[in-house]
Amino acid sequence: MAKGRFMLNRRALLRGLAGAAIGLPLLEVMGPKAYAAPLPKRLVIFFTPDGTIPGAWVSGSETNFTLGPILQPLQAHKDDLIVLTGINNEAAHHGPGDDHQRGMETMLTGTELQTGPDKGGCDTCPAAGFAGGISIDQAIAQKIGNQTKLASMEFGVSVHEANSWSRMSFSAPGSPMPPVDDPKKAYTRIFGDFNADPAGAKRLAAERHLVLSSVMGDAKKLQGKLGAGDRAKLEQHLSSLDGINKHLDTMVTIGGDCSLPPALGDIGDVYDEANHEKVGQLQMDLMVQAMACDITRVASLQWTTSVGNTTFSQFGLSEGHHELSHHPTDDQTSQAALIKIDAFYAKQLAYLIAKMKTIHEGSGTMFDNTTILWCNELAVGNAHSHNDMRYLLAGSCGGAFKTGRYLDYKGDPHNNLLVSLCQAMDVPVDTFGNPAYCTGPLSGLTG
Amino acid sequence: MATSTWQRWVWLPAVILTGGAASCVGNLGDGPGGDSTNQVTAPLVCDGSTIHPGDSPARRMTRFEYDNTVHELLGDTTSPSAQFPADEVSGIFDNQANTLVVSQLLAEGYMTASEGIAATAVKDLTKLVGCDPKASSEAKCGAQFIESFGKRAFRRPLDTDGRALLTGVFTQALATWDYPTAIRLVIQTALQSSRFIYRLEFGMPQPTAPGVVKLDDYEMASRLSYLLWGSMPDKTLMDAADVGELNTSAQISAQATRMLGDDRARGVIENFHEQWLGLSKLDTLDKDATAFPIFTPALKTTWHDETLAFVDDVVLDGAGDLGTLLSAPYTMMNADTAAFYGVSGGPKTSKFQHVDLDPKQRAGLLTQPSILALNAHVDQTSPVHRGKFVRERLLCEQISPPPANVKAVPPPVDPKATTRERFSQHSNDMACSPCHKLMDPIGFGFESYDAIGQFISTEAGKPVDDSGEIVGSKDADGKFHGAVELAARLATSEEVRSCVVTQWFNYGHGRTTTMEDSCTIQQLRTTFASAKYDVKALLIGLTQTDAFLYRKPVTVGQ
Repeated sequence: MAKGRFMLNRRALLRGLAGAAIGLPLLEVMGPKAYAAPLPKRLVIFFTPDGTIPGAWVSGSETNFTLGPILQPLQAHKDDLIVLTGINNEAAHHGPGDDHQRGMETMLTGTELQTGPDKGGCDTCPAAGFAGGISIDQAIAQKIGNQTKLASMEFGVSVHEANSWSRMSFSAPGSPMPPVDDPKKAYTRIFGDFNADPAGAKRLAAERHLVLSSVMGDAKKLQGKLGAGDRAKLEQHLSSLDGINKHLDTMVTIGGDCSLPPALGDIGDVYDEANHEKVGQLQMDLMVQAMACDITRVASLQWTTSVGNTTFSQFGLSEGHHELSHHPTDDQTSQAALIKIDAFYAKQLAYLIAKMKTIHEGSGTMFDNTTILWCNELAVGNAHSHNDMRYLLAGSCGGAFKTGRYLDYKGDPHNNLLVSLCQAMDVPVDTFGNPAYCTGPLSGLTG
Repeated sequence: MATSTWQRWVWLPAVILTGGAASCVGNLGDGPGGDSTNQVTAPLVCDGSTIHPGDSPARRMTRFEYDNTVHELLGDTTSPSAQFPADEVSGIFDNQANTLVVSQLLAEGYMTASEGIAATAVKDLTKLVGCDPKASSEAKCGAQFIESFGKRAFRRPLDTDGRALLTGVFTQALATWDYPTAIRLVIQTALQSSRFIYRLEFGMPQPTAPGVVKLDDYEMASRLSYLLWGSMPDKTLMDAADVGELNTSAQISAQATRMLGDDRARGVIENFHEQWLGLSKLDTLDKDATAFPIFTPALKTTWHDETLAFVDDVVLDGAGDLGTLLSAPYTMMNADTAAFYGVSGGPKTSKFQHVDLDPKQRAGLLTQPSILALNAHVDQTSPVHRGKFVRERLLCEQISPPPANVKAVPPPVDPKATTRERFSQHSNDMACSPCHKLMDPIGFGFESYDAIGQFISTEAGKPVDDSGEIVGSKDADGKFHGAVELAARLATSEEVRSCVVTQWFNYGHGRTTTMEDSCTIQQLRTTFASAKYDVKALLIGLTQTDAFLYRKPVTVGQ
């Protein structure tokens, strides 16, 4: 909390104080938010690392399928899911970087990485830098994010590292969007500026406008004097400043299912593996609350990084996730452990879905207008493969996807999935990422 | 990407191995070009006839530099950058220009930090501004503050646009609100300006040579201060720039010498070594409590501080040379580490003091518990990681991780078998041995130190076998016994010395080397050698190269 401001607790709000806003004057305390039709759509990216055990996901046919042991925790939401198999991430087979880097940074961008100094486990590949293109969440955020205070929010659980193995979201080529690992920092970002004093909030917004507009105007002048590389760097910076400046007055309406969550108590060390699930669930609580308040419509939750090596001692495991993922397929013990780990993540996804289903919206819930993509940088850990990926879509995105199905795409391009996500989010594109690896949207997703 | 051909030429590593081993190793390479106009594809002739500055991308402040700078500028002691997202690491350093951009999350951090810093700074307005608006006028005091503060914040006298930026905010804030607000918002504006956050250079208008310009004196002041202090120029540097005395190599060298004698140099020395040696990973290090009952999280902090105190002592207060850093039979010890080392009659307080160690057991950085524990597993040593550390951090090689479909975990601890026996698969299995023969035999030489860095003489009921071997190096190959002997060999290796030059270049310039830097690198190696590998001399040498003294003129981009 910045000095001189204080957090309004929920009880104070309910007592009917003038209101709360994010860094601004604002707000109306009133009933459920009355959105103009149609209701807003939301996209969530849910990342877990190290590949998976493909045979433990799903069996059966398109409409008559059985969730395997990994997806079992999602049984209650089966009708809301589309299980996707057989998609090939071709971009991950090209360009610099090792299999983890390429998987991670092509996953949402669909294009090759830039070169850089980060040499990983590929003898023959050039060393890598960051992604060579914008990621799907950011492309969508840049189109629809104008309507919300934050165009997107990136949440992390023990991402910790800041390098080319640990970034999946990019606002532009080479411009990573770092996730926030600490729920307290995320809380402050979302709710910390709620100001009980409308005059104070209005004043703060006016001061920020003056400063940011001035800084941006000057940066634009400077840009004209710079070479191409530095100019691009400033362009990125300007777009970040613009993202703040244009939403200083964006109102956030408290009411209905949008409420100020209570301040977080002591949550301990966010990097302590014993806190893995707790931190993840706090992050999901905040994400859902930010969406319920329409503070953002695009979010990601990144569980660790590519090559993530969490030790799940609660399952009696002493080896880390990444170490286990390297073991040969005939090693039954490690295969069973990996199924347990991915089932743990499926359980977390079920938590997120259930939480979204508690937020009333229109005649249904927020989840009806959402789609969540569960993705991974690899198909199979010990093969480091990027073909026949396992993905999951949860939520129909306002009816854009026909859920309750299992679809095997038999080698269709990964970038087609990215196109489908754009189209579902009403961002009309025909191709995404490197067009050489894209033939349009995935067929049959919409029903 | 340049091919590795020239790198072998420049860097010496020249890893010539038989069988599949060559594919295990890469060298510290050059990064993406960014603004690169690098056309150099063949080794340069370094006879001084041509200036090769290489690229000079704009540098965004790191968190380390931000905190130092706001401390110097406004006396801030709150380390506001702790709230910023981490600086992205590229290679092994977090200050690489092409990687550091300003995400919205960081821009929000800058905004909030500037508000906190400015609010504190204006508490004593008269002292801050140095002008009494009652005696003068608010407008005059404001203009005076903008000139003096603006020059310090932007590290050069205000140009027309810079003055317009701050004056515009001041005037509008004064008209809308009041004088204290106007001053406060001037500070917030400065701290969020690109002129503050980046080091933007334009160089002198007249080229020194075709495609080459000198830096102007203020740009040079900032190059010096961020290289050697990780902070803004002090008054002495700014005064020198004012009178045009940061112009010649001798003037710049004299300033560098002065600056290395200042306490502010400690921050950079520590920051470099922390990153080079990977010490920040101590944060998340864990050890098996059953195997190592004396291990506590507090011990990790002590190890970390011990290494940095040792580095400071050697580089800034002691012998100063790389050889001592790598082989000195002493450490900086406090009461906590005295107990750890089992030294009786050692330091009784938390203050680190010079304590001689048994020269048969300890020699410099490689035998410090921080590095030994970092490069070991929770319950056992790791010859692989210790060998990899030597190859990557001291020989500037990059070793490929294991292939996907292998069980890349250490063999379980067995009270009846030594580490060497348990790791024999690596040398016996043809799939493993090509790469592991580069690492494991070096790591076995560290077997006298357990996974928390304590000296041991027996393992599994047998005397420790600490015989090791280096293969595939340029000039350090051969068998050895124990890390003390290894350290002595590495301390005199040209390959290690060249690697340290490269690491300092990458850190100091915020980029990796390209072929265009080959004369700069050659000059640095010569400087380092003629100063008997004194690290301070290397840092001063960094200020005397083409890469530091010159840049390419800005070609305004589209």
